[in-house]
Amino acid sequence: MSELSQITAPAPTADAVSVSPHGGTALGPSFDEGSLVRPAAVEASDLVIAAADGSLLVHGVSVSVRPGEALGIVGESGSGKTLTCRALLGILPPGLSVTGGTVRVDGVDLTGAGEREWRDVRGTRIGAVFQDPASYLNPAMPIGAQLEETLRVTARVPRRQARERARELLDDLGIRRVDLVLRQRVAHLSGGMLQRVLIAMALAADPAVLIADEATTALDVTVQAELLDLLGRLRAERGLALVLVSHDLAVVAQVCERVQVFRDGRVVEAGATSRVLRAPGHPYTRELLRAHAAYGLERFLA
Amino acid sequence: MNTVSRLWRSGWTVRLALLILLAVATLAVAGPAIAPQDPLAQDAASALQEPSWAHLLGTDYLGRDVLSRLFAGAPASLLSALAAAAIGLVLGALPGALSAFVPRVGEWLALRVVDALLALPFILFAIVFAALLGNGLPQATLAIGILVAPGFFRIARAATLRVRDSPYIDAATYLGASAWWVLSRHVWRQVAPNLVVAAVSALGGALLAVASLTFLGIGVQPPAPTWGGMLSSDLGYLGQRPWGPLAPALAIVVTVGALNVVADAARDVLGADAPARQKEAVRV
Repeated sequence: MSELSQITAPAPTADAVSVSPHGGTALGPSFDEGSLVRPAAVEASDLVIAAADGSLLVHGVSVSVRPGEALGIVGESGSGKTLTCRALLGILPPGLSVTGGTVRVDGVDLTGAGEREWRDVRGTRIGAVFQDPASYLNPAMPIGAQLEETLRVTARVPRRQARERARELLDDLGIRRVDLVLRQRVAHLSGGMLQRVLIAMALAADPAVLIADEATTALDVTVQAELLDLLGRLRAERGLALVLVSHDLAVVAQVCERVQVFRDGRVVEAGATSRVLRAPGHPYTRELLRAHAAYGLERFLA
Repeated sequence: MNTVSRLWRSGWTVRLALLILLAVATLAVAGPAIAPQDPLAQDAASALQEPSWAHLLGTDYLGRDVLSRLFAGAPASLLSALAAAAIGLVLGALPGALSAFVPRVGEWLALRVVDALLALPFILFAIVFAALLGNGLPQATLAIGILVAPGFFRIARAATLRVRDSPYIDAATYLGASAWWVLSRHVWRQVAPNLVVAAVSALGGALLAVASLTFLGIGVQPPAPTWGGMLSSDLGYLGQRPWGPLAPALAIVVTVGALNVVADAARDVLGADAPARQKEAVRV
């Protein structure tokens, strides 16, 4: 836990600024101090997501991540964290829609955007990886063909250079025996390997934002740690804004300098990871931490 | 090619079936050319003979050489079965795959048409079809093709439905892939193995159907030899030549059997849902 406090945000002055943009209004728990300093790579404010029958699923959530920053989103299932992420990608499930708030991705205002506008943004400015990587790849096609397809569609790499770019991309993600992997299919590769391939696909067009929604949840702990390291490195190297969704506080603690705690479609607590984990302000956060302390491995080692 | 070599290696029955199909295919192409005698030449003096060196499979009631008729009748029997299966594949598979992507109304309509076709009695349909459009082999082939189509429709639709809601299809759609792109690039590969298997077994069914129809005199008129037609003419002389129908019957049964064996093996080899086998595991 001690190294947590040493992680500092890329903009050291960010935490010092606490001026309200509207002058005098009380800061909500999700207010992001950094947004005043540098333009956010991805930003949603007062996002409201409603079902077709009018019931609200997300009640005015604000999320903002600057380039090179990692934001952790934690909360129980059904707390709206995945819906919020899907809204940032413009891929809400059928029947749900954004009924309030604004969304900006990499400087593009997507508030009320249509499918065509979203398409221009997905893959090129914002990418995402999810749980269960195997289901995001066609089992009947070699990995290489699918990666090349993504490169050609999102990064507009010419057909002839696609294979070379695919090789570079996987190589960059620390995959050994790249040529072998490119020839193989889903059934041949481990979950960790597949998730790396999907990260490569998500980053094919060098987007500004990467959303990792429970991307390491189904993997074993060592592979999970390797992938988290990889995400951390990519963030530093590419200035990637990372949104890491997890129900696992340890995962968030490892990668993110800021964390937002979701519950029932609201952000109940937000702030520097070290602060939230050390001195949780909201009862729900305390409960989450207590659950971790009660059922986590530390208890058995103590 | 890879698939054929894997089929070949999957056991001696499959090997035998493939060899039989190769021989049958040769007959379908070159049957009339390699027939030892004129299949239509009648010789009343030597009618209903036992097999001999002059007539390896004997002669029929008009003294025609049975072996020559078997060879010469192969193209009509086999090629029309092939055409019928192909017609069924085209009429069934593409609409079947598309039916997973059209609006509900279209889907409902397509399914009801298929249900109606499935309910039609096969022989009656073919007879009515021939009565309406003329009694010829092309008409009979088309009738069989139409009746084989629902099978392909259902298989293609089921396989498409299974992959349609996969996250990787969603992901492709979110990146702007059209329904056609999804169909031709992602769905097709998953559906194709199932269709290959279905096509091989449909070929067997179509062959039987062609034989049944020609047996009944639909499709091909008497002087011209067909396997089904030979059966029906031999049947009248069972008293004099009880083993007479054996040759054409065996030709049909062995071919259909070989097709079924190959279809079964192809299903195992192509393994519709897990196309490639584990060769070498790669770890992170």
